[in-house]
Amino acid sequence: MLQDILTDKKALFADGAHTELRGQNNRTRRAVLLNGALMGNVRSDVSGVSARVYEGGVYGFSSMAEYTGEAAEMVLKAATENAAFMNKHAGIGKPALPKMALKQMPTQEDIKDAEQKLYVDFAREADAYITKKYPNLVSRTIVAMEDSMEKLIVTSDGASGHILAPRSYMYVVLTAQTDAGTPVELFQAFGGSGVFGDNFADPTKLHAEIDDLYEKLMQKREGVYADAGEKTVILDGMMSGMLSHEAVGHTVEADLVLGGSVAGPCLNKRVASDLVTLTDFAHTAFGEKCPLPVYIDDEGTEAVDSPLIVNGILTGYMNSRESAQHFGMTPQGNARAWLFQDEPLIRMRNTSIHPGKDKLEDMIASVDDGYYLIQSNNGQADTTGEFMFGVTMGYEIKNGKLGKALLDTTISGVAFEMLKTVDMVSDKVVWVSSGMCGKKQPMPVGMGGPALRCKVKIGGR
Amino acid sequence: MDRMKELAREILADAKAKGAEYAQCSVSEGEKKEFNVDGGRFSLMRSLFNRNVTITLLKDQKKGTVAINKFDIETVKNAVSDAIAAAESGQPDEAWEYAKEPVEKEFTDGAPECDTDKLFMRTKELLESIKEKHPTILMEQMITEHNSGTEVFMNTNGVNYVTNYGAYTFSLMYSAHEGEKSTSFYGSDITLKTLDKPVLECGKIDWEISMVEKQLDPISLEGKFNGPVILAPMALYEIVLGTIMGNFVGDACMIDGTSIWKDKLGEQVADPRFNMSSEPYNDDVVVPNRHTAEGYETENFDLIKDGKLNSFCLSQYAANKTGNKRSGNTGRNIHVAAGEKTLEEIISGIDKGLMVMRFSGGQPAASGEYSGVAKNSFLIENGKISKAISETMISGCVPEMLMNIRDISKDIANDGNNSLPFIAFDGVTISGK
Repeated sequence: MLQDILTDKKALFADGAHTELRGQNNRTRRAVLLNGALMGNVRSDVSGVSARVYEGGVYGFSSMAEYTGEAAEMVLKAATENAAFMNKHAGIGKPALPKMALKQMPTQEDIKDAEQKLYVDFAREADAYITKKYPNLVSRTIVAMEDSMEKLIVTSDGASGHILAPRSYMYVVLTAQTDAGTPVELFQAFGGSGVFGDNFADPTKLHAEIDDLYEKLMQKREGVYADAGEKTVILDGMMSGMLSHEAVGHTVEADLVLGGSVAGPCLNKRVASDLVTLTDFAHTAFGEKCPLPVYIDDEGTEAVDSPLIVNGILTGYMNSRESAQHFGMTPQGNARAWLFQDEPLIRMRNTSIHPGKDKLEDMIASVDDGYYLIQSNNGQADTTGEFMFGVTMGYEIKNGKLGKALLDTTISGVAFEMLKTVDMVSDKVVWVSSGMCGKKQPMPVGMGGPALRCKVKIGGR
Repeated sequence: MDRMKELAREILADAKAKGAEYAQCSVSEGEKKEFNVDGGRFSLMRSLFNRNVTITLLKDQKKGTVAINKFDIETVKNAVSDAIAAAESGQPDEAWEYAKEPVEKEFTDGAPECDTDKLFMRTKELLESIKEKHPTILMEQMITEHNSGTEVFMNTNGVNYVTNYGAYTFSLMYSAHEGEKSTSFYGSDITLKTLDKPVLECGKIDWEISMVEKQLDPISLEGKFNGPVILAPMALYEIVLGTIMGNFVGDACMIDGTSIWKDKLGEQVADPRFNMSSEPYNDDVVVPNRHTAEGYETENFDLIKDGKLNSFCLSQYAANKTGNKRSGNTGRNIHVAAGEKTLEEIISGIDKGLMVMRFSGGQPAASGEYSGVAKNSFLIENGKISKAISETMISGCVPEMLMNIRDISKDIANDGNNSLPFIAFDGVTISGK
């Protein structure tokens, strides 16, 4: 665990300038089995210290790959010089950021670093199970991994704290062949917040989930192409989580609003049907701990929820301290950095549409000709709100009943138009947290949601 | 650098002493100077001082890898012990093989020294000249940086490379705005060795910005049809070249047997006019990758020559696993040979089709089938670019497209890393509302 060598350096902070000093360690443990061969067997520890100083509307930042008092002093000096350079050549004379009350957040519990054998053995057990039970597969990839962020945050004002955020997953990728010899693939991630040993105590507990994945792959192997065009679909929880994050969440990040996103002129306007309420949750959602809880951000803002859409009306943005000042809003703890060498950016935390009252089976039964879309492997969205998600698992719906599985396809739409077509919302939320959001830096995020009935464009033949 | 070499020697000696039969390490130190523009104005200056040590070793032919970013000997020796423990937890694999021939070389590439004032000046000039020449463009984000450093790579077989490198990179993300109208965002990137001329005059940045400006009044296409599609260099990489590298010729798809080209070496996989190579030593590349992760010095090689699959893109490990040859490098710096027509001539031959600047799509299936949204794209009608389009999806199958090449442009876009033409493909599915 990082020792606190930073708090004493507050004496070196320049008067009147908002200053952040952050020590950080990112740890990754990974074992990758490809058709039984241990292709990846890697441990990584990356740590150091960084400083950021705000002056006249611009920031200076510096980092070093050392975690020492001397390095902290050097990055403070360099960040101050960088801020002065920027203020001299490109400053816009903005006032200092509004001061926040000093607060010390409770230090989180240290995490245990497991030996590499734990990851390798777990991956091998899963691989052995698959090999024995499903010998007809063309290939299988198993990844056992854990990553964690430990941060010691000291700020000139606002909250300081020492946080640890581990998460761990098993990724299973199975590939089969159609009768024509075409490869068909399906992927599933298992796990969530916490260290690997806690999430995966017993390898046999994964077997039922692997069986389910295999079953879906066999259905997909017999799958059909979607019929391209605009369709009524049921987006299952993972897909609506992707929608919340990619298509809506990014457009209401205040830095992207300043960059001209579609959300700029839409504040306090209707962007979705009455049934849609969307929040970026800090650490607790619907009475339970979020998949990746955040208690303090890297600017020293204590994390609280960001309500974004309430009953279909766009009510707010996600902010840094600087953007909150610009928009006259309250920062809610969204400014986060991935590595010690990264500056805080406005990031989502755990973004989800709130559950409704409908039952999934009633929603499916209500569709005469459409699709039930369950799983995605990637998603992208534009600042215009136009989005695209890859669909890796889904089914036809014909006359209210599930039909054949789908081969890989893509859906697209324009978020604030598509959300107005939402006319049924299921009563259960599904969360995912195994991926990384990409925005200059990667960042672990949670995204979730209930099933939605809506209209989207689907690709296909 | 002497300190880094000494550290590398100590790592290898420690690994041997702890039972490794083979070890290699990469010890590097680097600096980054970076300016950020957000929402059209300067927002941040960063200066980073980085170190990295990556140790890979074999014990009883079992592999372990550890990466850290510290140079102190205690941390480094602990990392060696961790790598040994990781290897011991694994399983033997005879396919692990590394460069065996002793060699000692030092390289210097690009611009190892940063002129920070000039980088700032060129950044400011670029921002101002775009505002003046392209007034509807809003620079959502621009990151300009100089990365430099030195890497020492050594292995226990006597391989010893020292690489000094540096380069300027300009990454722009922008969209056009007029009243409440706005376009999709677009990204332009270029890597440069010098800052001798204004950045707007480099590569295709100015042309790309001018095309985005023309997208403020897009139309929605109705219905579905099959037609020719011209893929601009970025879309060409996203749809076709990336799929070739990831799904058909690379390590993972060859080892797991999902590559549909695994038995097609020497066979026709594309139109005979299609030539694709990996060329780190192309004159247009600013900083070539000098050695592979396994310690082999890199060289240019042809992936597809006259439409025939000339080589896979394999590491020594994957080559051993699949019974193929290791390729000259691991697939960076893609070069696709120019064709004979100008872009205008290619457009003039199309009655109805699309020019796709950027693609936002799902990860293509192992079969090469893909679908996604044609972004920043245009309808071609009667031999001319007629209108920008929105909410239009395209789908197809990469192996079929490669056999259905209509034209390859003379014009090549070079971004300091890859050099790519515009290619027109027949028979792509285009679907609107």
